[in-house]
This record gives sequence, C-alpha cells and structure tokens, in this order.
Amino acid sequence: MPADALLEVRGLTKHYEGLLALGGVDFDVARGEIFGVIGPNGAGKTTLFSCLVGAVTPTSGTIRFRGDRIDGLPNYKVVARGLVRTHQIVRPFRDMTVEQNVSVGAHFGAGRRRREDAGRRVAEILEKTGLARKADALAGTLTIGELKRLEIARALATEPETLCLDEVMGGLNPSEIMEAMKLILSIRDSGVTILMIEHHVHAVVGVSDRILVLNFGKPIAQGPPSAVMKDPEVISAYLGEE
Amino acid sequence: MRQGRRWIRLLAIEAGALVFLLAAPRFLERGTLNDIWNVAFAVILASAWNLLGGFAGQVSIGYSAFIGIGAYTTALLALKGVNPYATLPLAALLAAAFSFVVGLPTFRLRGPYFTIATIGVSEAVRVIAGGVSFTGGSSGLRMPAGSFDFNSNYAAMVILAVGVVALAAWVKASPFGQALAAIRQDIDAAEALGVNSTKYKLLVHALSAAIVAVAGSLFAINFQYISPGSVFDFRLSLSIVLMPIVGGLGTIAGPVLGALLVGYLQIKLLSSPGLRDSYLFIYGGMLIAVMLFEPKGLLGLLLRLRRFLWRFPSRPVPDAG
Repeated sequence: MPADALLEVRGLTKHYEGLLALGGVDFDVARGEIFGVIGPNGAGKTTLFSCLVGAVTPTSGTIRFRGDRIDGLPNYKVVARGLVRTHQIVRPFRDMTVEQNVSVGAHFGAGRRRREDAGRRVAEILEKTGLARKADALAGTLTIGELKRLEIARALATEPETLCLDEVMGGLNPSEIMEAMKLILSIRDSGVTILMIEHHVHAVVGVSDRILVLNFGKPIAQGPPSAVMKDPEVISAYLGEE
Repeated sequence: MRQGRRWIRLLAIEAGALVFLLAAPRFLERGTLNDIWNVAFAVILASAWNLLGGFAGQVSIGYSAFIGIGAYTTALLALKGVNPYATLPLAALLAAAFSFVVGLPTFRLRGPYFTIATIGVSEAVRVIAGGVSFTGGSSGLRMPAGSFDFNSNYAAMVILAVGVVALAAWVKASPFGQALAAIRQDIDAAEALGVNSTKYKLLVHALSAAIVAVAGSLFAINFQYISPGSVFDFRLSLSIVLMPIVGGLGTIAGPVLGALLVGYLQIKLLSSPGLRDSYLFIYGGMLIAVMLFEPKGLLGLLLRLRRFLWRFPSRPVPDAG
C-alpha cells in the first residue's frame, strides 16, 4: 500500500480542551480508491476531515498528501494542493446563484491558474451534478438534496485530486441516494480519489473499496467492507449488540 | 446576455453622469457646484467603504484615518513646494500601507476584533496628529497660497466619484468580488474552497483606503486648511458607515443613493442654524428606520416600489405567460 499511497495519516490526534476527538488514527488511502469512514455519532469522523484539510489544526500526528506534509497548513493551501472537503451541514453562499457558488471553487481551488476556461468547467460540473437547470437560482432557494449536490459541485470545481465527502447522502430519499452513489462512482472513474463519511451503511459498503471504523476517536477496524462488517468489535460498537 | 445589458446600462449612466458633471461649471453657479463637490466627496467615501464593508462584510468605523492621511500628506508636501495633485499617488500609497496596521493583526481573527481595532487606531491617529509638531498640532495646517483652483479640484473630485462607482461594479463582477462575497457570507466555507480570506480582506481594505486618501487629499486642496478636528473626526467615520447602510449595503447604486441623501442633508442641516446640532439624532433615526423596515436600504425600497408598479400592467393580460 504505502508504495502508491496518496494520503498517509499517522498518529493523528485532536484534543478539544479535555475532550479527545481523535486519538491516534493511522491509515493510508491509495490513488483511485473510494475509502469509507464510518462510526457512531461523535466518533470523530468530521473532526478527521477537518484535520485533513486544515480547517482545524491537529494536536499531534502527521498527514502526508502526495508525499508532502500538509498538517499545519491553512485550509486554502490544502485545497490548492488538491485535497478538498464538503460539509455535512451544508454551507452554501445563500445570496449567490448556484453558478456563482460553483465558480468560487473554480476560481480559487487547485485549478485557479486556468481562469480562462473557468466558465466551461463550471458548466460541465453543473451538468454532471444535475444542477444545470438551477444555475441562475439563488442557493438559498434550493432543496436539501440540491444543496448536498451543490456542496459536491463546489468541491469538484476546485479540481481536487482527493475529495472528502461528509455525509452527502444524509437527508436524501432512496432514489436520491441511488443518484448520489452513481455520481460518486462517476467522480471516482474520472480519476478523483474519494474519502467518504456516511451514515447509510449500505451505501458505504456498496461503493467503498476499503472502510475505516472509528469509535470514540479511535480506529477499531480497517479493511475491505465485507471483512470489516463481520468484525465483532465493529458489530458491538457500531451496529449494536446482537 | 442579461449581464451584457446591465453593463451597457451602467456604462451609459456613468458616461452620462461624467459628461453632465464635467459640463456643469458652464451653466451652474458656484454654490450648486460646491454642493455637487460635497456629494461627489460623499459618493467616493461611501462607495469605497462599501468595497470593504458591503462586499466583504468587514465593518470599519475608522475611515477618517485615511481621509486624514491623504489630507496631511498633501498639505505637508505642498508646503515643501510639491504640486498638490502630484501628491495624490503617495497619499494613496501611504493610506494603503497604513491599512495593514489594522488589518494584519485582526483579519486573521474571527469576530468583531477588526471593527473594534478600527475605532481605536483612528482615534489614536487623531490624538497623535494633534500632539506632534510636524503636523501643526491641534491648530492644523494651512495649504500654501496659490495652490487652489476650484475648477480643477471639482473636475478631479467628480472624475474620481464616477471612477470609483465603475471600479465597484467591476470588482463586484470579478472573481475578486466573488471571493469577497464568499468571505462575507461564510468565511469558513470560502476557505474550504481555496479562498485565502486574509489576503483578500487585506487587498480590498488597502484599495478602499487608497481611494479614500485621494478624496482626503482633494479635500485638503479645496478647503486649504486642515486640522485633526476636521479630517480625523470620529463623526466623519460614522457618517461614512451610515451612507452605504442607508442606501443599500453591498450594492453598486446603494452607496450612491445614501451619499446623495446624507450629503444633501448635511448641506441643508449645516446651513440652517436651528438644525445644525440635530444631525446625529437624524442619522440615528435613519439607521433605526433602515434596520427595522428595509435592511436593503433605499435601493431595496426602490426595487420594491418598481415590482409593485410593474404588477399592475401585467395582471389584466392572462395569456402573457
């Protein structure tokens, strides 16, 4: 694995005052993988993503992306290197149109040096995420399903090498979940490595190549979905006693 | 397509305004030209403040510092024999540099620190300008004789006013303006999409400060006499904030409307002895009215009026859609 690891996380730890949000997390993600992160509420999944992109500074541990240390870098610099995240609680720019929201990512992300074709890239992404019809709508008027897709569209517009999706299926109905899974697979097929946090276990198991299970900030299992879901510790901690 | 039509309309309005204002000295009397000068000064301050306060959402209550820096730079250099208009670039540069004094330590922080710092720093500048000798202390400075020519000062002021409005429209439509809007609406989400928020806040603050300083330089040339009490006045800072808010925060036309109203009021109030001291009361009342009834300001009111008027002709035509 380490030979072609795109992302290498070692001993990643985050304390909030006395609270341990992440306690020594190790994992690697290979180029082209879909890597699922699951765990009960409060397990530290979102904190993990926040640390990866630099939205919060880890207390200790190292993060290497494409071989370079990125822990301690501010969020916007991590985005410029090609690692971006979406937000579980959607954070659209409500007074901007959908198109303007996406073009912020196109103008300031990893693809920011190619301003001249930003308009074309934005149009392609709106098409791909099914938001083309809503291009001129104010983001504040979208439904939750559309807002989740807008989160993905904005992140994609930054031209990431690795995309961290934080519960993009939360609040969606079953047919929307099917659409979202198709979208995620097509993003991966376009060459983007994906990390995803998801509550819908079936969705994660269905699309992930490997899964990391967190509980109280600690990794309790890691590996292919079929093996991880049979792990007795995972069953008792995450899925409940049976 | 709609975007293109808006640009053409804006350019037409701007060109028309410029031609009218530059031709005005041929047919208007000096008193009216003075009033236009005052309103143009207000338009510059309001539109420049709006770049930072309206577009990027960073409220500064210390803009008199930049007026003062511009005015003093021009007065001090003019006294050394430099052509006052040749001092404008240096005034702009010094104000931009000074904007970093407040911006660098506070723009990294979240919360009201920037706003609080602007009050403290601008007051400190006023006290220092009144206390040191090279600025003439609290008695101020008089420009050298012969440096005054109303017509060229008037022309410079109206060109700057029209130019600043055009600049604001350009910034708002540019990726830079999109970054500022993103910062105002959700700074963490902006950073998560690659926007270096500290950098863009510093840039727009510097740009805005430079414009205000040039207006301050023209102020010094026109009034020929400046003192800490006139150019570093805290009430001046307050009225700069008031104009874009009353007119319509974060818009292009809003600060212009606010400047027209407040600038006009100021002229009327100052010329009637009975109302001279009531302007803070009137400003406060306007601010409360805007916050309670129309947060989008005069522009919001006008747009609402237009929608209301447009509804009537469209209603009796059922097949129109």
